[in-house]
Amino acid sequence: MKSHSPWSTARNPVKFRIPTADNLVPIRLDIEIDGQRFKDAFIWNPSDPDSEVVVFAKRTVKDLKLPPAFVTQIAQSIQTQLSEFRSYEGQDMYTGEKVVPIKLDLRVNSTLVKDHFLWDLNNFESDPEEFAKTFCKDTGIEDPEVGPAIAIAIREQLYEIAVQNVTSARESRINKKGRRGLEHSQASKNSGNAVDLFKLFGSKSSVVRKRKEWDVYEPMIDLLSNEEVDALEAREERNIR
Amino acid sequence: MERTTPDLELYTIPSYSSWFSWINIHEVERFSLREFFDGSSITRTPRIYKEYRDFIISKYREEPSRKLTFTEVRKSLVGDISVLLKVFTFLEKWGLINFNVSGNDERNGYEGGARTASCGSEEEEDHWKGRVKVEEGAPHGVRVVAAPNSMKPIVPPPPPPSLVVDGGGIVGEVGESGFKWPPLASYSDVYGELMLEERKKSGVVCGSCKETCDSAHYEYTKAASFIICEKCFKSGNYEEDKSADDFKLKDTQNQAAVWTEAETLLLLESVLKHGDDWDLVTKNVQTKSKLECISKLIQLPLGDLMLGAGYRKSKFLDVIGDVSDSKQAGVTSNESQESVKAEEPSSERQNEDQQNGDAECEGPPLKRVCTEPPSNAGTFLMKQVTRISTMLGPHVTASAADAAVTSLCYENQCSKELFDDDDGNYVDSNASPEVSNRERDTDADNAVEDTSLNQSEMKEISSLKNIIPLNLRTRAATATALGVAAANSKMLADQEEREIGLLVATMIESQLKKLQRKVKYFEDLEQIMENENAQLEELEESLITERLDVLQRVFDAGISRSKEHSLTKHQTDSVQ
Repeated sequence: MKSHSPWSTARNPVKFRIPTADNLVPIRLDIEIDGQRFKDAFIWNPSDPDSEVVVFAKRTVKDLKLPPAFVTQIAQSIQTQLSEFRSYEGQDMYTGEKVVPIKLDLRVNSTLVKDHFLWDLNNFESDPEEFAKTFCKDTGIEDPEVGPAIAIAIREQLYEIAVQNVTSARESRINKKGRRGLEHSQASKNSGNAVDLFKLFGSKSSVVRKRKEWDVYEPMIDLLSNEEVDALEAREERNIR
Repeated sequence: MERTTPDLELYTIPSYSSWFSWINIHEVERFSLREFFDGSSITRTPRIYKEYRDFIISKYREEPSRKLTFTEVRKSLVGDISVLLKVFTFLEKWGLINFNVSGNDERNGYEGGARTASCGSEEEEDHWKGRVKVEEGAPHGVRVVAAPNSMKPIVPPPPPPSLVVDGGGIVGEVGESGFKWPPLASYSDVYGELMLEERKKSGVVCGSCKETCDSAHYEYTKAASFIICEKCFKSGNYEEDKSADDFKLKDTQNQAAVWTEAETLLLLESVLKHGDDWDLVTKNVQTKSKLECISKLIQLPLGDLMLGAGYRKSKFLDVIGDVSDSKQAGVTSNESQESVKAEEPSSERQNEDQQNGDAECEGPPLKRVCTEPPSNAGTFLMKQVTRISTMLGPHVTASAADAAVTSLCYENQCSKELFDDDDGNYVDSNASPEVSNRERDTDADNAVEDTSLNQSEMKEISSLKNIIPLNLRTRAATATALGVAAANSKMLADQEEREIGLLVATMIESQLKKLQRKVKYFEDLEQIMENENAQLEELEESLITERLDVLQRVFDAGISRSKEHSLTKHQTDSVQ
């Protein structure tokens, strides 16, 4: 019964992975060479052979007609991010029973999306891409770039949480605490970002939110005009410098 | 569309979703959304699923013509977004929401299904409870068009019997409002009722999931006809207006022998807690009857040890209460108590897995005692004997021991010599069981807590009495125990006999009283009869006198009877 359950149990640690159905790594590229800037975000399957990275980089540069100098930069960036991910692999991840809030605040071209919702770290069936697709369909977003961007944003946050989880577990192991002590310190450490499950899901409270809270949890979607987009981009540029 | 009651609104749901009910969670739901029902997380329980489901469906029905989107729903619900999406997709797949929505061209409208079932819901304020009604055929004013290709794909078809039976259940309800099961029913529908009948004959059928209850079932005490199976009961799948306390366990024969590990554990725990108060134990175990609990405990390899432990514990408390009487014993028991308390946490830390950290639970240590080498059996038996002996008092034990020793001596001359040497010592220790019991009780407690301490104590005991061979001592102890037990049972039998006598006397007395009362009533009745008789006689007499009086007066008046007669005759003649 338990063996085929996709849900990890609270007690048993799992090996580090992105807590979704597919263990895919979010990769973000932001490369600038000679005034030419290349920004992109996508997901990469870590079990693919590394030779694919260079092939992908070459292909991208060719398709986008970028200067050949980009090839090594792109490949290097992907390789670094992949090896960072791999450095965590094999380590124990104590997710416990944890539901984390995920906040979205992103702009894709002229679409501005703000949203927040809960994500169960133990649900290894979850599918950010499917969620993003439903989101775009429901809200009537037509820009095809928005969906993947949302999925990647969710993946990035889950990745970050998983990394935090692993490092905090490792720290407490270094502190030479017993297993019980470890769980304890984790619970206290994670109480900051995880939601209080007993408060939300206990027998006393209803999982249906109060009517006045509905608007708070409603996703916000704004379609910006071209001028607004330009203004925002200009501001972002300034912030970077 | 006909409205049966002003309160009822009719909604259309596809016929393949007729299993849906506001009150219950169906097998289909259990199967498709298994994560809510395996108890894997506090965030996914049947209750939470039901809240999600009811909210989403109610939300859709606020405006059934509009397509409800997931993004719209999720802002109102707390929970993992992926799970919410799964529930939403599930409901949409089964047409419980977004069925017949004009914006949705795939499952479009009334032409979609060859037959549509309607579902009404009674909305009681904000409680989304109601009854599902299935209406015959398509609603009025809707043409049934054969368009099989536009029909929504029926994905994982539910197990036919349960679906059918569920439908059958609804039919009964609908019958009141004059509807009958649609004539277009499929094969399984036609035979559904028959199958249900057959099931009823073959076994008990659960009122919730409609499966045959093959293990145990619960009967609703307020209405005997409502029965649910164990599985449904455990998952809380009974109607909400019924509480768990109102269900009573009924056993079917074929489950008596099956004890799950959890049940056994529960049994042991409750035995430790309540001793041999079987009513309380049964209440704790819940799923088994008193008789089953007892027989299971007897079958268990350490059942009697458990009982001994429970008994000893209570005795130990008694001993502490008695401490003021004998100072020395008090000191030892107090010391041992302290040492026990001091040792407990350390041993707990040492092996967490063996001891569950529950100071009350003495299961694991007892097991250790149980697996001790047989050479210790004698000591253990001694302890048992001392324990039993406290039940009866020193004199009975002493005489039982005497009798045992005597018979052993009769059997074997050599043992007599041995006993003669040690007799004073041995009988002494038995004759003052109050004191020795205290010592041994504390010994036993230490033994339970710490084996090493136990062993040292045992050495002490054995060094004290190593003159008599262990074998003989064991036999003597056995005989003593048997004697004591016999004495005890004799006492109990006597008591029982006296009680029976008393009860019989009471019974006879009350019977006598009853008879006396009856006799008295009869006497009263007789009195009444006599009175009435006298009255009647009086009345008769007065009537006779009155009659005589009347006749006398007639004669006195002188009107003869014959004259009167001729007069009437004359009259009739003239008429003719």
